[in-house]
Amino acid sequence: MEYISNFFVNLGNSWTSLLSSFLPPWAVILINFIIVALLLVLMPVIATMTLTIMERKIIARIQNRIGPNRVGPWGIFQAIPDAIKLLTKEDIVPVNADKPLFNLAPLLIFLGAALLWAVIPFGRGVIGQDLNVGVLYLVAVGSISTIAIVMAGWSSNNKFALIGAFRIVAQLLSYEIPMVLAMASVVALVGTMKMGEIVELQSIPFLLILPVAFITYILAAAAETGRAPFDLVEADSEIVAGYFIEYSGLKFGWFYIAEYGNLLAVSAIAATLFLGGWRGPFADQAPVLGPLYFGIKTILIVFLLMWIRGTWPRFRIDQMLALAWKVLVPLGLFNLLWVATMIKLPLPVWLQWAFILAGNVLALLVTLTLMGQAAKRYAARRGMVGTRA
Amino acid sequence: MEQLFFILLALLTLSAALMVVTTRNLLHAAFWLILVFFGIAGFFILLHAEFLAVVQVLIYIGAISTLIIFAIMLTRRIMDPQQPRFNSQWGLVGGLAALLFVVLAAVTTRVAWPTTSATLPAEPIKQLGADFVGVYAVPFEVASVLLVVAMIGAIIIARERG
Amino acid sequence: MTFPTLNFPVIAPQIVLVAAALIILLADLMVANKRILGWISLIAVIGALAAVFVCRSDSAAFPLALGGPSGPGTMALADGLGLFASAAVLIAAGLAILLAIERVGDFSRFEKPGSEKKQARSGDHPIAEAPGPQVTDRAGAYYALLLLATAGMTAMATASDLMTIFIALEIFSLALYILVGFNRRDLRSGEAALKYFLLGAFASGFFLYGIALIYAATGTTSLEAILHNIQPMSISLPFRPLLPVGMGLLLVGFGFKLALVPFHMWTPDAYQGAPTPVTAFMSVATKAAAFAALIRVLAAVASYDRPWLLALAALAVLTMTLGNLAALRQTSLKRMLAYSSIAHAGYLLIGLAAGNQLGVEGALYYLLAYTFMNLGAFAVLLAVQRRDENDVTGDRILGLAGRQPLLAALMAVLMFSLAGIPPLAGFFGKLYVFSGAVEAGLAWLAIVGVLNSALGAYYYLRVTILMFMAEPAESDQEISSGKVETLQPGWAVMTTVVLAVLGTIVLGLWQWPWTQTIAQAVSTLALR
Repeated sequence: MEYISNFFVNLGNSWTSLLSSFLPPWAVILINFIIVALLLVLMPVIATMTLTIMERKIIARIQNRIGPNRVGPWGIFQAIPDAIKLLTKEDIVPVNADKPLFNLAPLLIFLGAALLWAVIPFGRGVIGQDLNVGVLYLVAVGSISTIAIVMAGWSSNNKFALIGAFRIVAQLLSYEIPMVLAMASVVALVGTMKMGEIVELQSIPFLLILPVAFITYILAAAAETGRAPFDLVEADSEIVAGYFIEYSGLKFGWFYIAEYGNLLAVSAIAATLFLGGWRGPFADQAPVLGPLYFGIKTILIVFLLMWIRGTWPRFRIDQMLALAWKVLVPLGLFNLLWVATMIKLPLPVWLQWAFILAGNVLALLVTLTLMGQAAKRYAARRGMVGTRA
Repeated sequence: MEQLFFILLALLTLSAALMVVTTRNLLHAAFWLILVFFGIAGFFILLHAEFLAVVQVLIYIGAISTLIIFAIMLTRRIMDPQQPRFNSQWGLVGGLAALLFVVLAAVTTRVAWPTTSATLPAEPIKQLGADFVGVYAVPFEVASVLLVVAMIGAIIIARERG
Repeated sequence: MTFPTLNFPVIAPQIVLVAAALIILLADLMVANKRILGWISLIAVIGALAAVFVCRSDSAAFPLALGGPSGPGTMALADGLGLFASAAVLIAAGLAILLAIERVGDFSRFEKPGSEKKQARSGDHPIAEAPGPQVTDRAGAYYALLLLATAGMTAMATASDLMTIFIALEIFSLALYILVGFNRRDLRSGEAALKYFLLGAFASGFFLYGIALIYAATGTTSLEAILHNIQPMSISLPFRPLLPVGMGLLLVGFGFKLALVPFHMWTPDAYQGAPTPVTAFMSVATKAAAFAALIRVLAAVASYDRPWLLALAALAVLTMTLGNLAALRQTSLKRMLAYSSIAHAGYLLIGLAAGNQLGVEGALYYLLAYTFMNLGAFAVLLAVQRRDENDVTGDRILGLAGRQPLLAALMAVLMFSLAGIPPLAGFFGKLYVFSGAVEAGLAWLAIVGVLNSALGAYYYLRVTILMFMAEPAESDQEISSGKVETLQPGWAVMTTVVLAVLGTIVLGLWQWPWTQTIAQAVSTLALR
């Protein structure tokens, strides 16, 4: 029983001892490092290959189209010819571009996308490194892509690219705060920043205790990945393609891969923090189920984000910033304060959690009421249809 | 092994710092500065201070560097790579800097730095958090007043005339 | 885990001030008459002053026993010195607020230029469409920042840990950077703020580096613990070489804040460009807070050792002489007073350089006297200053005695006190400080101080002569003939001046209670 529930850890140990039987210790460490690094680097690529076709199919369905249907059954191999096309395109560097930075930016943004996976637990013990600052690490690594984007936007020497970079930096900095607040309320609840331990301590999915944090996180995640309705970074009708407008070929591919890698990563983080990660029925008895549950939960969140993208119109920049600063940040602050107060009350845990849930629901209701009133006032001022005024 | 990492990291950080002050392109200087910050985060990791390393990346790279880059991009003439890098007082300042270096070097070599084998607390982050609201409650809370002042000031400066 | 008990009375003044600042920021959104905000802040300052007197306690915010002498100790200490300096800061803040109540609009109100055009241009943009006031008044932010700066200064005066000192220093510095540049219509104000900010930020760097080195040398930032750690190890302290370097860097940082001479370059520009009430406030309150902290730091880190005292004496000589010489040549009265306040920092420093009971007592007495007389002098400048200008030249006060005899007489008293003419407070301040220096065996320093006082008397008396003996200049004849708006100082400004003059006279004539308090405050310090 003990062996099975720690199946992956024991598997890793067996593998290491197998290697150690004929290799010196430094070589074993080196080989293990290389394997983990390869897995990290592969994750965004896998995400791109699978999520692009998924997204195209789902959006097509929402828009009453069929979507790609030529390559393979139902068009599921569409990503392969796309990749080949991308690889064979000419690599263009604008004449007045800042070349070193122009070449560095795609690598850096990919690095940011890959490093995120180091602390995400796929199953019990299946985690690159269970850092004791895991949650903070995720936020810190996320800031690398900000730098990469500014680099790309600046070095392209293109005004659309620069505007796109400016927009996304404002967006990333603004939405980082509600995102951190949402994560912090989970951390306050469990009292650890280790991703693996957060899953272990999640006896019921935190979505059921902290719905406000979950909603805040999902909205912030949509904004952090620059997806609709927060896609004014690359709003095609305004600034063509945003910060990567001048990139082509494989360098463009890096941005593309990073985008989908980030999408999968933020979904995986949401699944870990709020949906119980790899936990599920019989996951203790049959550890193989762990990664499966984790994958299903992640894909569910990916689907949610795609659904949002397919159905919502794009925000204007002031609306986007107002949502972050006037709605999500106060909500997140309240939530954190509430959780921190409740867990210090001398009550049984289930009662504390019930209080937290009650506070969450109340905050959500108040926020929605206030937003509804604000919307009515706004509509009345603009003389919109549907106002009773 | 750790020595090797330290030397490599120090070389990286110092050469990046040198680039910050010598490069003509101000924006490149800002990006070199980011590399310096990464190097410092690396030192924190070597010292087993993961929390500080992560916070270093988060604050210095994620927030401060971004602001620096923004400020450079929004300032017009400063981007000109033809601008001279030195003004008439560079000799004096260079002399003073060299003097400061000599003094600090003399002092640091004279100090008998002890190597203690103090053990880390089991949960350093928890200890840090407890200290923030415990022993260091006054500076910690007063720092929030500092932030309020900075915020009011930023709004006053940034708000349009009228 | 045990939480140490927080001794709230020690930080009560700061709590009052910060709470009032936040209330003012909120009230600013609802109150149309901004003068109410001024009254609220005045009440807050008086409340904080009451808190200083009522809540005085010799215990620290954190009992030292908690972490042992080497561990973290006290963060704030409401001893006699801290309370005295806090009181000086709060008096300065109260007078500065009273000074600004009528005139804050001069530099905080703005009319929106071309607002109609803007609305038309932005079309259906909902933000511009919102009905906004055509005139914005930032008076609320002004009062809030002033209160926060005051909170920072009182925190610095009572701080007994290098970390608290640094954070408090940053709070009031940041607030002052903004306040100096508060007048957005005046380019000088912006220039002043920029210079002050750049040099101030640089100075903060020195300060922090000094703290880091001292921490490295002693393993603590608590001043008490530093004192404790130095003494037993003084023979073979392994990090001994770090201490002087750290103390030197700290001294540079203090020098910037106190406008001591090699580090004074920002002072004339900042004092001249800042709105006059701000200049009045920062020229006195900053010095009170920084001097209190310097007295503590010197006691803990330098133990008032001979070399340090000589360094301070050298700084004092430079500061006095250069300040007075430069003040001689100024045409702008504001700039003249700026240089004169540099010179006064030099006199104050003599008391510290003496390093004995009498010298430090004298410095504290002088600090309070200086608070009244310098603030009063700037208040007079504000009284004769037109609403649309931010500077006063000599010819504006030509023949002031003829037009406003009371104001001229009050100004004359303040000038006499600044010059050090008995029986006013300025004279006794100098007397105590110089006798402290003589007692410490630094007679030459006292002589330099006396010579400098003579130098200073020249330009202070020149102001008096301009007011009483000269005919009004042409522009003022226009004023008296009604061509230009007559300058009538408001009652609040006059009250400020009267209060300041009263303070100067009372402090000079009726000394016993003050010297008694100061003697008590100083007696607990570790002096030579």
